[in-house]
Amino acid sequence: MAREKIYQEEEFPSPFLQLWQIFRKTPVAMTGFVCSIFLITLAIFSPILTPYSAVESNLDMLLLPPAWDDNGNLSFLLGTDDLGRDMLSRLMSGASLTFGLSFVVVLISLAIGVILGSLSALTSGLKASFLNHFLDVILSIPSLLLAIIIVAILGPGLSNTLWAIVMVLIPQFIHITRNAVKEEFSKDYVLASRLDGASSFRILRYSVFPNIIEKIVSQATLAQSAAILDIAALGFLGLGAPIPLPEWGAMLKGGIDLFYIAPWAVYLPGLAILFSVVATNLVGEGIRHALKVHKES
Amino acid sequence: MVVLMMKAKRFALNKQAINLTLALALITLLSACSSEESLSLSNKSLVYCAEGSPESFNPQIITSGTTVDATANQLYNRLITFNAKDNSIKPSIAKSWHVTGDGKMVTFYLRKNIAFHHTDYFTPSRTLNADDVLFSFNRILDESHQYHQVSGGSYPFFQSVQLRSLIQEIERINDYTIRFKLHRSDSSFLANLATDFSVVLSEEYGQQLAKRNERQHIDVFPIGTGPFKLKEYKVGSLIRYYRHDQYWQGKVELEQLVFDITPSNTGRLTKLLTNECDVVSYPIAHEKIVEHPNLTLESVTSFNVAYLGFNTQKAPFNNIKVRQAIAYAINKKSIVDTIYSGKAEIAKSLLQSASWAYDDKVVDQIYSITKAKELLKEAGFENGFEMDIWAMNVQRPYNPNALTMAKLIQSDLKDIGVEVNIVSYEWATFLQRVGKGEHQTVLLGWTADHPDPDNFFTSLLSCAAVGTGNNSTLWCNEKFDELLQKALKTGNIEKRKVYYSQALAMIAQEMPLLPLAHSKRYQARSNLVRGNILSAFGGIDFSTVTKVAGGSN
Amino acid sequence: MVLLTIVSFSLSFLFPGDALINLSGQINTSPEQLIQLSENYQTENSIFMQYYSYLGHILNGDLGLSMSSQTPINTEIANLLPATIELSMVALLLSMVIGIPLGFIAAIKHNKTADNVILSVAMIGYSIPVFWLGLLAILIFSIVLSWLPSAGQISLLFEIEHVTGIQFIDILLSDNAYKWQAFQNASEHIILPACVIATAPGTIFIRLARTSMLEVLETSYIRAARAKGLTFNQIIYRHAIRNALVKIIRHVGLQFANLVTLAMVTEVIFSWPGIGRWLIESIYQRDYTSIHSGLLVLSCFIFIVHILTDFIYAALNPLARDNIHGS
Repeated sequence: MAREKIYQEEEFPSPFLQLWQIFRKTPVAMTGFVCSIFLITLAIFSPILTPYSAVESNLDMLLLPPAWDDNGNLSFLLGTDDLGRDMLSRLMSGASLTFGLSFVVVLISLAIGVILGSLSALTSGLKASFLNHFLDVILSIPSLLLAIIIVAILGPGLSNTLWAIVMVLIPQFIHITRNAVKEEFSKDYVLASRLDGASSFRILRYSVFPNIIEKIVSQATLAQSAAILDIAALGFLGLGAPIPLPEWGAMLKGGIDLFYIAPWAVYLPGLAILFSVVATNLVGEGIRHALKVHKES
Repeated sequence: MVVLMMKAKRFALNKQAINLTLALALITLLSACSSEESLSLSNKSLVYCAEGSPESFNPQIITSGTTVDATANQLYNRLITFNAKDNSIKPSIAKSWHVTGDGKMVTFYLRKNIAFHHTDYFTPSRTLNADDVLFSFNRILDESHQYHQVSGGSYPFFQSVQLRSLIQEIERINDYTIRFKLHRSDSSFLANLATDFSVVLSEEYGQQLAKRNERQHIDVFPIGTGPFKLKEYKVGSLIRYYRHDQYWQGKVELEQLVFDITPSNTGRLTKLLTNECDVVSYPIAHEKIVEHPNLTLESVTSFNVAYLGFNTQKAPFNNIKVRQAIAYAINKKSIVDTIYSGKAEIAKSLLQSASWAYDDKVVDQIYSITKAKELLKEAGFENGFEMDIWAMNVQRPYNPNALTMAKLIQSDLKDIGVEVNIVSYEWATFLQRVGKGEHQTVLLGWTADHPDPDNFFTSLLSCAAVGTGNNSTLWCNEKFDELLQKALKTGNIEKRKVYYSQALAMIAQEMPLLPLAHSKRYQARSNLVRGNILSAFGGIDFSTVTKVAGGSN
Repeated sequence: MVLLTIVSFSLSFLFPGDALINLSGQINTSPEQLIQLSENYQTENSIFMQYYSYLGHILNGDLGLSMSSQTPINTEIANLLPATIELSMVALLLSMVIGIPLGFIAAIKHNKTADNVILSVAMIGYSIPVFWLGLLAILIFSIVLSWLPSAGQISLLFEIEHVTGIQFIDILLSDNAYKWQAFQNASEHIILPACVIATAPGTIFIRLARTSMLEVLETSYIRAARAKGLTFNQIIYRHAIRNALVKIIRHVGLQFANLVTLAMVTEVIFSWPGIGRWLIESIYQRDYTSIHSGLLVLSCFIFIVHILTDFIYAALNPLARDNIHGS
């Protein structure tokens, strides 16, 4: 005889699911989320999706305005630049560079930062205070300036830009992890685990992390919007992606010279950057809002 | 209401409110001021948007067009100069001259009462005389001259035309007469002396500086006889010139001439549109300028050529087949269409069709991918290779957009399996490094300093030019140099044509550089500016420019 | 600060090229000069001695020569830093003057339309890349409307003597015939870049002000004031604003650092003759001496402002003062 469930079990969704439900209810956050998913898809699948190549020139189709203009051409929906490259394809490939890379950068610095942060939360004494001081100094330097310094040392180039931004974001994650872990450690349930004989590592992995993960994710979205702006800024200053690559900031830089003959080369990349940063910020806002509501309930 | 007013008073104690009200008051006060004063200031002053900083204030030691534009016609005069209408030579500091029958002695008779600049750092006690001419030329020719090594000791233009081996000595006949004794006759001698580089400096100033042990100031705080004198120079920002009140050629209308150094093309055009600049060099968006009611687009047919130079001292470009292969792979027509919007001549050789030494029969490199691949295979590079193209990030009269041109060549060369890396630096740094031979290939060009075709050959491809940094191909061929020498020795145009045709054929065969295009030189200005600035040769000249009273500023 | 000097010193080794040349910036030296230079900077001795001599040079004001222009860096920085300070201060003022009241309004009208509108505008202002904003601003205000100039600190025709480097003070100090014209011209030139820079920090101030005001409005003393019967306006002006402001001041330091970075990028777009543009040009030209000296000066500057605001905060807020002395 199959055992039917007699009692209706109340569902206790995990904290993550709870947050997701609250998140889902805020329309603004959901739009941001949808846009982010759109951008991520673009970033991953752009080589397949783009109608034309992002780096090859079509020399007969120079400086075409977007399709809604009189001189525009429907097959080049957003026009072309001074070397005949399709703007739409460039923007889509740029998504993988500006947006996609920012994602990767945040993931890497998150991983390293969280590990280092929890380690530093566990240690105390001279090592810790030196680390604190060092961190304070680094944190007081704004991320773009630090990134510029690092690129100045390493030289311009896409990989150097990535390393620079990773190095810039790590302190933020260290700081927030350290504070969050320290805060959790002073709570009772950790004390209980410790009394049980659990090692610090165990406590961290099973008790503390699930509780601080939302803070880390919220910091991650902040970091990502900063990373997008920084990658674009470095590209704009000529310190980032080299010339043919369609990174949005570098496209903007190249577009300045075309400002009077092809203004769409300036408008479109900027709009793309704005769009992705707004999407990221909306998602971040949504998470923070959900966290707050969750805490209050 | 009264309660609110009381609260408002409390609010006013708030820091921000005080600042805000102060700022508002100040602004309203200022906007009430009259704008008559600024009108008079701008009528007598001209702001010129330049594309780069000058490397020095003495044209003798450089050849860059930017520096020549900024200094040559503004600060200095020469013994002789060119007549803009027919390119013949006309008198300047020298009121007349005499050449002997064998061409070996040239005597100049100088004008009297030519005054030097009077500035914060120098007061002249006499007018120009033969000593100043001696000083200026001996500095270049005499290695033991106390000023020869000052500022580097390099005089690239004069070295490339081998002036030192040409001039035997310069004799001072009297206060206002100078005689040049030459080792041989040279048909381009007068033309070379009329270029922007052959300026006359002040010997008195030189002596003063030497006494104070400040010799390097001669090229940094310049003194000349030109229509303008230096007031202020902020590196990378601006050059401020004041009018030279005792200018010997008559009254200069402009009281103040400011060079606003703006490397960005869009930046210059923006400043023109917002009236922050009156005249702008190397404008972009020509259609916009032509449409605009307050602006004019000026152009002049300038003798220039843009080329891709191969560093013949660096592999793989020391291999003639590789050079020829690259030449076959480049589509010149699409370059001219894209970069110059079709408004330039495709270059078959260094000389353009307007030059009397132009040879129609020179073999031109056609665009052929198959030939290119064949040659690469013969050279042993069947699978292609990696190379650098150095391109400048400023506009030049021969090339409005070297970076984009490099991108086009990059995609052209991809078709034959060659990977191109584009390298760029700030203009002065770029020239320096190319001069040292750090490049593999470079997109460069040449604007003629005078109408004689020798200017193209000797300055760019002679052995003597290798040391000066102008020969970016580092190519040195003795037979070629011989041809040039022969062409200079004779005054007979038909004979010279023959020699130059042979020289052109040699260039086409050896391919040290690939000529790409000949362009016009453009300038955009506000309609309030009157007078001629551009000339077919050499730098710009503001001495005859005036401004009409305009509307807003 | 010490840390900063160590970092900057190590930079000269990290950069490609000879460390001595990077430190002093003199290229084109003859061999004798090279020997003298190495004695100067003590390259023969250990690294601590080198660091020590480097510190000595800095404290004497000698930051070396710029590799590209061969002029002493300290004079260049002395000329450029005040321009950046001027721009940053004006931008900071603007962002506070506009951001803080807007934030207060948003808090007061919490959860109503005004709040949401202000928050959305703030979100966009915070997300927009500053260089794009600068380009748009030039397009709209300089080219299309022709209200404001597009580049520079002041029209080049005015010759204002460089006394402090801060344009407005220099104008007032000079005895130029066109003094008021110059003043008006300089104001026109500073409005656009200052507004562009002020946007992002301004939106942050909106949020800060809003949060701070919301917190203050919840506190017991406000409730007490309400219970006392004070009108809404009285509560706001007499109590809430002052307390909310105090909380914001301590963030000004951090915001200022952010602002200076934005100023660097904006300086490039508007050709503002400040230290940010110079630094970025040096990086492009690989002028290593300028880079590490410039970074040192800039970081010190930010650091000093940070400490200053901490002091101001402590001065204004008795509660914070206790924390310094206490636990």
